[in-house]
Amino acid sequence: MDLTALQKDALGELINIGFGRAGASLSKLTGHRVELDVPQVTMCPLDELGDRLRPVVHDEVATVHQVFSGAVSGDALLVLDQQSAAILNELLTNEPALPLAIDGSAREVLTEIGNVLLNACLGTFGNLLRVQVSFSVPQLSLDHLEAVLESLMVEGEGLRYALVVHARFRLRNGALTGYLVIVLGIASIDRLIRAVERWEAEQHHE
Amino acid sequence: MEIPLSQSLEQVNRALPRWCRERADRGILITDTSLRIVMWNRWLEVRTKRTEAEVSGRLLFEIFPELTERGFDQHYSEAIAGQAQVISQPLHNYLFAVPVEMKELSFQEMPQSARIWPLVDDEQVVGTVTLIEDVTERIASERELRKQIEVQRSARAVAEGALKAKDEFLATLSHEIRTPLNAVMGWTRILREREIDPEMLSRALEVIDRNATAQAKMIDDLLDMARIVTGKVRLDMQPVDLVAVALAAIDVTSPSATAKRITIRQTLDPRVAGVLGDPQRLQQVIWNLLSNSIKFTEPGGSIDIRLQQIGQCVRVTITDSGRGIRKEFLPFVFERFRQGDSSSTRRDGGLGLGLALVRELIELHGGSVRAESPGENQGSTFVIELPTTVAGEVRQHDIDVDGLSGGTSSLDGVHVLVVEDETDAREMVVTALTGWGARVTPAASCREALAAIVDASPSNRPDVVLSDIGMPREDGYDLIRQVRALAPERGGRIPAIAVTGYANLNDRDRVLAAGYQAYVAKPANPSNLAAEVAKIARGQATFEGRAHVGTSPRSEPVTAITPSE
Repeated sequence: MDLTALQKDALGELINIGFGRAGASLSKLTGHRVELDVPQVTMCPLDELGDRLRPVVHDEVATVHQVFSGAVSGDALLVLDQQSAAILNELLTNEPALPLAIDGSAREVLTEIGNVLLNACLGTFGNLLRVQVSFSVPQLSLDHLEAVLESLMVEGEGLRYALVVHARFRLRNGALTGYLVIVLGIASIDRLIRAVERWEAEQHHE
Repeated sequence: MEIPLSQSLEQVNRALPRWCRERADRGILITDTSLRIVMWNRWLEVRTKRTEAEVSGRLLFEIFPELTERGFDQHYSEAIAGQAQVISQPLHNYLFAVPVEMKELSFQEMPQSARIWPLVDDEQVVGTVTLIEDVTERIASERELRKQIEVQRSARAVAEGALKAKDEFLATLSHEIRTPLNAVMGWTRILREREIDPEMLSRALEVIDRNATAQAKMIDDLLDMARIVTGKVRLDMQPVDLVAVALAAIDVTSPSATAKRITIRQTLDPRVAGVLGDPQRLQQVIWNLLSNSIKFTEPGGSIDIRLQQIGQCVRVTITDSGRGIRKEFLPFVFERFRQGDSSSTRRDGGLGLGLALVRELIELHGGSVRAESPGENQGSTFVIELPTTVAGEVRQHDIDVDGLSGGTSSLDGVHVLVVEDETDAREMVVTALTGWGARVTPAASCREALAAIVDASPSNRPDVVLSDIGMPREDGYDLIRQVRALAPERGGRIPAIAVTGYANLNDRDRVLAAGYQAYVAKPANPSNLAAEVAKIARGQATFEGRAHVGTSPRSEPVTAITPSE
């Protein structure tokens, strides 16, 4: 199962709406213009997620992980390579970054950013599906990409899919890309795609 | 006896809210979905000075309207919609304003990190839970860490900058030394290969002369700088009339000023007090500053030189209408090898040593120099301040060699142990001291010297030790340490003079601290050596004494002033 070009466009557009709000609230928070957009959305079976991520992030990554439950449930992650994570923190706080492992403040900022992005994305889905989804507080971890992938693999049962949302940040002459990964069971994915198609149709109808 | 699980659960359920209220080490705030306060724990009570009784049942934003102003209403409504919220300290500073005392952190409010959770029961959000943590200590230690890293980073940048300046200097040096050489070589070739008329000959000689002079000056500057860096500059200190020095410097520079149609205006107050200094060096300083101003002033411009008394200082101010100095460059103006424009396309020649020499020389005189400029194309001002000193104050340390010149008997009966590993140098000293009437025992090593002290009978023991510092295996420091370790009756208190090639202040202090009573800088003038030995032998320099003398190979005794570098 893959997304059609139309579905990809529609998903990107939907998430962009959520990201627009997230960017606005980050701008207000930091006093700098923060732009967030979604250049690309892809989907793959969970066991192929590594092939998608390895070319764009490698080695040590900073991951903000959030579990969501309710009518749809799964895992949501923001994955940044550690260098991008440090840059993002510097751009947002204007403080020179210490190594993330010893910089509790930087880890907290990244956790909040992950929270804002994941909430924007999942909130959009929740609204779309007209279901209440409840999210846990995110946890930030610094780990090797392979370890992150492994922990996702062992967590759930059944056939699962990963939605990979490229999230591009632009602020203060800097730009970097993070990757939102939303892991859903086949049934949830199916519901989501149908809802996206319905939304897309409504858009054209209007 | 085992308590049934249901009973345990009941106990825990009863104890938990109380624990949260009274014991938790962070703030706990619980509201219902309309954001009415349900729990406000002790941590919050203490810090916000609001009791639970006071806030319980009331709307959160009614009691704390600033939460809405700071955008937290959004967070709470999202929490009620089921989304947990992160309130990071770096992006929000704090949730509830709690004044703090830690002034050094420059925080008005206690830095906090918070989480707002939806309180979910049966997939239904029934309220919010806010947890607040005091992160003051974390922020303080991170700041400290950042500061340390910043210090290291800037130290590295300074070192790299100096290295870069040195590289640029080498490039400049090759170019600058080459340029006059090209002219000299070119004209020499022309003179050799062609028939030339007298007019051309005189022009050729003029060009050759001018370029050779320029190159000689460059090499002089380089040598001066090298001497300063290695601590080998000797100042011939004497009372100096700065007016005369300034006039001489103006005199030397006026041809180049005239050539550029630059006017030098002078306001020299003749009443300024004398300063103590090396007149040649001070003239060099003013000359360098004037040349610098002439170089960077456009034709037709002007330069003002002013000399005035300011309290206990004489101030020399040189102001020009020239190109000025960029603000970023001002701090580096006096640094060695630095030039405002070090690009290959720069307009001006020179090595970038002139101003560095100025600073080094002025500091050797105990004075200060600074540069000011309102900016590019707005001229520059250089200000030198030299302390006025009562004449002769410094000369009191000079050694009265004349006192010795009464006869060769001045060191009569004085037994000197001369320790020097180099044969020629040892023989020179032995000959010189013998000539003054001393009885000399030579020693080529630390070991021989010790033997000459320890093995000698009391009547045959040396009166004075004169030892080289730099020797292989055991040096002059090792020697004096071992001598001073001896009992007084075995020679442990024989006065000693160090002869050292390293004549900077640190070495001098080290020599005296090691146990020597005096030091003489190399290359030692024989009469100075004799004078110093005589003084020590006469007991003028005691163990507490701090007599020391530097010598210069060419001039009469002077006081050594050496940089501490």
